[in-house]
Amino acid sequence: MVVHGKRFSISQITILTSLLILAMITFYPIYNQLVISLTGKEYIAQADGATIIPHGFTLQTYRSVIAIPKVYRGLMNSLFITAVGTVVNVMLTSMGAYVLSKRDLAGRNFFMTMIIISMIFEGGLIPDYFLMKNMHLLDTYTSVIMYKAVNPYYLIILMRFFDKVPKSLIESARLDGCSEMKILFKIVIPVSIAGIATISLFYGVFHWNEYFRAMIYLTDEGKYPLQVVLRELIVSMEKASFIGSMNFLKMTTSSSIDIKAIKAALIILAIVPILIFYPFVLKYYVKGKLQGAVKE
Amino acid sequence: MGKRSLRKRIYKDRNLYLLFSPVLIFFIIWHFIPIWGARIAFQDVKYIGDNTWVGLKHFKILFSSPVFFRVFMNTITISAMKIFFFFPLPIILALLLNEVKSRGFQKGIQSVIYLPHFLSWVVIAGIFISLLASPDGAVNKLIHLVGIDPIPFMTSTTYIRWVFVGSEIWRSIGWDSILYIAAINNIPLQIYDAATVDGAGRFQQAMKITLPSILPTIITVFILNLGFFMNAGFDQVFNMMNDAVINYVDIIDTYVYRIGLGKGNFSLGTAAGLFKGFIGLFLILSTDRMSRKVTGEGVW
Repeated sequence: MVVHGKRFSISQITILTSLLILAMITFYPIYNQLVISLTGKEYIAQADGATIIPHGFTLQTYRSVIAIPKVYRGLMNSLFITAVGTVVNVMLTSMGAYVLSKRDLAGRNFFMTMIIISMIFEGGLIPDYFLMKNMHLLDTYTSVIMYKAVNPYYLIILMRFFDKVPKSLIESARLDGCSEMKILFKIVIPVSIAGIATISLFYGVFHWNEYFRAMIYLTDEGKYPLQVVLRELIVSMEKASFIGSMNFLKMTTSSSIDIKAIKAALIILAIVPILIFYPFVLKYYVKGKLQGAVKE
Repeated sequence: MGKRSLRKRIYKDRNLYLLFSPVLIFFIIWHFIPIWGARIAFQDVKYIGDNTWVGLKHFKILFSSPVFFRVFMNTITISAMKIFFFFPLPIILALLLNEVKSRGFQKGIQSVIYLPHFLSWVVIAGIFISLLASPDGAVNKLIHLVGIDPIPFMTSTTYIRWVFVGSEIWRSIGWDSILYIAAINNIPLQIYDAATVDGAGRFQQAMKITLPSILPTIITVFILNLGFFMNAGFDQVFNMMNDAVINYVDIIDTYVYRIGLGKGNFSLGTAAGLFKGFIGLFLILSTDRMSRKVTGEGVW
């Protein structure tokens, strides 16, 4: 059968087992939150870290959580910011990467130096804040959407994808009298769809998970993305915010719902979009990481 | 090529420059105006009239402040703990994954262990607060089985830094193994064939062939980590800290936020941020030089 006759040697079994344990340790804490969020209210008191199957399965917690105005608004804000932000980022990054992938462009070295400086030195949090203030962008969606519109790391990754587009394709289009804009959007981008997918996921994940800039630039709570609401409710446990939401639930739902279940449902709510896109993430993001040999 | 041809080249490419101009403008606005804005570290901010230049005043205040000294030491300690205890793990993981013969099993494990990298630190903090809750969290229930009393991990000055190391491992062990796995996949198979003929076992092959072959990658990643040494993990600390442990976990980045935006001491906050930025810059430039010497390739 097999040459050495030990297809499953002891060392093989040890390795497979330890990898399985690692995967379980990784997955279980997330799964545990899912279980708690689906547990019926009469069982929730006993539900803890060791519960594997939700008792008294119910979606009621999710219905209640979505009904909290703050959470619903947060979800909508996050979807809006992520969608618009990603489109803007990808457009600008494509334009930048396309121009900078022309090796013989006069001034290219100067532009590249600028980009590298921006990667290793920054003004910092407070100058960023004052910039937003001086541009009268505080408390606008624009501040969160446009903040650092082009990520230099992602720009360089996209350049490597654009480098692979056959030069002859671009040259013949130029001879046909196509404008640079048209070449970019009609030829280079469609040919580099894997690269575009990669950086779209990079930016998408960034916007979806972003909370800090939203927290400091936005003052109107109605504009808060989900992560900021989440932080208030599950991490910083701001009492006023939490009691407000709990009172709302008490008034609107006949039965009281456990805090533990609510927190769990909020966590899962924030993970679901990532899970939906996860197959694409695995397909593109991993390759993207290898393209950009530099750390994120 | 003469001057005339340069002008010609620019004219020929005018549409490219036009296409690039929005990108350039955004770069200047978001990246370079804040660098100029950081001059308030050398000024006193006045609400009426112009700011006045005060030289290194705020840096002097900073360096004589015991709080800043503690924050600085916390940054170094937490960063060093992470490098020391986290850095070897993704390498070991990559070596283990390489021993798995079934592609399906390997892919399955990888797709599970990459997942936490894509979760925000708000979510991860939420998960860990629930996981480590005392006495009801999963971990305390587990250690209760072996007769250990519940430990309030999140509010314990002894454990909180280990919670940082642990959650960093949980989040990044899989993701950070990717570069090593790619490096292992680039090793020519003939080397292994020759070793097998010579009678080398799998463990010997891993130690004598795989590990030395990926050593350049290991060195590059290590050097990069050193370059980012001053980033002890703002989002992690910010979301996991609480009043009980603040003196043990407050790092430069959280200090900048608290002093600068929280208390409105803009100049002092910016000075602290700049100080960290300069150290970071120095580290990156010197690690780049190190990298060129050791691996023949720069960081950039």
